Amino acid sequence: MQLTAKNKWILALLGALSGFINGFLGGGGGVLVVSVLLTVLALPQKNAQATALLVILPLTVVSAIVYLVKGVVDWQPTLWATVGVVAGGVVGALLLSKLKSDVIKIIFAVVLILGGIKMLF
Amino acid sequence: MNIFLLILFGFLAGIIGGMGMGGGTVLVPLLSFLDLEQKTIQAINLISFLPMCLVALCFHWKKGLLKPQNILYVIIPAVAFALVGALFASDSQNKLLRIAFALFLIAVGLWQLIVAIKFEVRKSRRKIVIYAKTYQLLAKGRNPYMSKVKKAKN
Repeated sequence: MQLTAKNKWILALLGALSGFINGFLGGGGGVLVVSVLLTVLALPQKNAQATALLVILPLTVVSAIVYLVKGVVDWQPTLWATVGVVAGGVVGALLLSKLKSDVIKIIFAVVLILGGIKMLF
Repeated sequence: MNIFLLILFGFLAGIIGGMGMGGGTVLVPLLSFLDLEQKTIQAINLISFLPMCLVALCFHWKKGLLKPQNILYVIIPAVAFALVGALFASDSQNKLLRIAFALFLIAVGLWQLIVAIKFEVRKSRRKIVIYAKTYQLLAKGRNPYMSKVKKAKN
């Protein structure tokens, strides 16, 4: 796909925003990157979700290094959570090519709103 | 430290993360149920994401789901601003980060919900049009499915 100069700028600006959010909030950039890949690069849903991981990986490495250097990493809970995340990640990766994502998206959106409200109070 | 809950929350978020739907948006609020500081939670999210991402990418690569064309336009500014964001976070208070994450979740959730509902409405409208056209053809005494079968046979 040949990109116009305008689209390249849009990608760069939204990339910068996703990167800042991912670094500042320690996550959440992936949701934005998926939307960027869907709308600007016009990737199909599953390709956008898979490719977003490729985009998020390098900026997570950079953010994680800063958090490590600043000494905010508590290794004991990090290691236990990582065990669960990796196991869940395998299940999620296998499910991506099998599931219909329409219903999941609605459930996921409601979970996000509830999570946000819980964190506020 | 509740090891069982850490693994369970990690597992649930990992499923969403492995699907590339943003596992962090699930793991961070789940971990906020435990007695952990916001910065520690964010660090857990970032570090636990790395091995999971590598594993998930191997699966997606094998299935040919990765489309890396043009993504450098996103990655280069994203990496630069991730550095800026992480430096800001390390100097910010835990309470501020927690509120910022909560507002971000609510905004993204509402936005995703609107997009998903709009998509469902469009899909059901398309179905109604198909049903209406089929009904019109049947009312005229023509079976739209039989004509397709005949075409296929010819």
